[in-house]
Amino acid sequence: MDVLQILENSAHVHLLLNHVPTIGFGIGLVLFLTGLAAKSDVLKRTSLVMFFVVAVVAIATYVSGNAAEAVLAGTGRADFPPGVSPAAIRAHEDAALLAFVLMEVTGFFAWLALWQWRRVTATTRLPGWNLPVVLLLSIATFGLMARAAELGGEINHPELREGGLRQGDVIQSFNGQAVTSDEHLRTLAAAAQPGSTASIGVVRDGRARTVPVEIVDAAAAEKRVARTSDAASLGVRVIEPLTQELAAQFGLKPGAEGLMVAQVYEQGAQGPSEIGTARAIGLWVTSVTWVWPTAETLHFVGLCMLFMVVVIVDLRMLGVMKSVPYSAVYQLLPIGMLGFGLNLLTGILFFLGVPSQYVKNNVFYWKMLFVVLGGLNLLYFMLVDAAWSVGAGEDAPFSAKVAAVSAIFIWAAVLFCGHMLPFIGNSF
Amino acid sequence: MEPVALQDRSSSRAREIALEFLKALETSGLSVWVRESGSLWSFPGILLVHTYGMGIMVGVILAIDLSILGFVPALPLAPLQKFFPLVWTAFWLNAITGTILLVADATTKLTNPDFGAKMAFIVLAVINQRMIQKRLFGDPGPTPSTPSPANGKMLAWMSIVCWLGAITAGRLLAYVGTVVK
Repeated sequence: MDVLQILENSAHVHLLLNHVPTIGFGIGLVLFLTGLAAKSDVLKRTSLVMFFVVAVVAIATYVSGNAAEAVLAGTGRADFPPGVSPAAIRAHEDAALLAFVLMEVTGFFAWLALWQWRRVTATTRLPGWNLPVVLLLSIATFGLMARAAELGGEINHPELREGGLRQGDVIQSFNGQAVTSDEHLRTLAAAAQPGSTASIGVVRDGRARTVPVEIVDAAAAEKRVARTSDAASLGVRVIEPLTQELAAQFGLKPGAEGLMVAQVYEQGAQGPSEIGTARAIGLWVTSVTWVWPTAETLHFVGLCMLFMVVVIVDLRMLGVMKSVPYSAVYQLLPIGMLGFGLNLLTGILFFLGVPSQYVKNNVFYWKMLFVVLGGLNLLYFMLVDAAWSVGAGEDAPFSAKVAAVSAIFIWAAVLFCGHMLPFIGNSF
Repeated sequence: MEPVALQDRSSSRAREIALEFLKALETSGLSVWVRESGSLWSFPGILLVHTYGMGIMVGVILAIDLSILGFVPALPLAPLQKFFPLVWTAFWLNAITGTILLVADATTKLTNPDFGAKMAFIVLAVINQRMIQKRLFGDPGPTPSTPSPANGKMLAWMSIVCWLGAITAGRLLAYVGTVVK
């Protein structure tokens, strides 16, 4: 599957999935309020499950959003609406990020309430603070979701955007001079007068054309650039050498040479206030040296916490350490959930840092699919009595063994996809 | 000739020989295949196994540590020894995959102080894990009421610190240290 197809598919997924958080959360909230009013535990628990499921699906919704943006912003086909308002996208992106973060927090507390519910016995009660916290969080999340959805709907009002480089352009010449390497391009661009306009020969959507590009002050722009293969004075963030694979994907003749524009700065954007919160966080992630390695290290720590639960709980179900009842290993689940939370947080940082390396990568979508499946699989271990009633020395029922094998497969697949991002796909 | 100069010369000669050796490792058939074959079975596959090994080993050890520290009161400590074979299998798997990855990149890794830090953390963590197994799981055998000796919690904290240190140093190998050509 080529890059365009990946983007278009995930853009469709976004348009499909983006209703799930809003509608699902609305229904969950109604159920929750009814459950609280009617003092119905069944309704309350059902709504908690809904909050959790919606929070899991929202991960896929959120990441597919950037693919939708990439399609709108011009990496997609020429028959797409000729331009959209970058400001509208930024507003939606920021609102969506905030709503997404709050939704994940709500999902976590809803999950924690479900977890505690299992442990409620004749002598213990559900802690009094949890349900009010879920209530407040879910109301706030719903409000922010509605705002993000409304802003998302406004994106499809096209404003024409002319000039400038776009993602997916393949640069072949600079003011008529053939460009041989990214270094060559940078040298040419750096030598040009800031404020002047250069004619850049590009191949866009399979057709050669010349686009005017305003030269910006490289010194100012470079402050926001971390990677070496950038051409800041062209307002371009990442340039990749054109591989034959990419050339084929972008409809170029075999043997064509050039540099592919992987990421573009917003035209005229100078500071965090203009580029939006999501982009500002992304720039922080890529431009401050220690952030990326630290986030990676924490991602590994979170992985170990998650694997702790996968190995111990699931192998218990499969017959290892049979003397221990399920209710004892159940106590480990929140540690795994914290590990998952750590990885979600650091994962969002990677995603905000360099969205282009994920949205064009099929392996990334497989990973997100497995994460969603992992969340649904976890519900078995939370809700089904067959699992809960496995006592000390008892063999787990068949359904629990199936769920355990699935869980091991799913989380191994999540790790596999994450690890293979740079090797099968184009990420680093 | 001054003795100091002699010493300098011989130590620089020793360094040369060591570097020659590392280069020989790095240019061996296995190293070249791991680095340059482009096969998913080579570098990506070996590193994948290394990562699975880390998740399983550190994951289980972390559960043991947290259990010793009393964070999981319902979970008795003794039965967790059923996972020791898995822990050590994962450990040796990572020792093997780690050695292959090391040989493939010998001149860079073995001249990187961060690699020394990673090894130091792992050696300490392994000694620590042996002590945990001996003192907290040894005689009088696996009974649910095995009492934690006073230094049990100390060992558990040491274990957490050492494995976190090893993971951090390992991840940072991709970022710090100078490349010797």
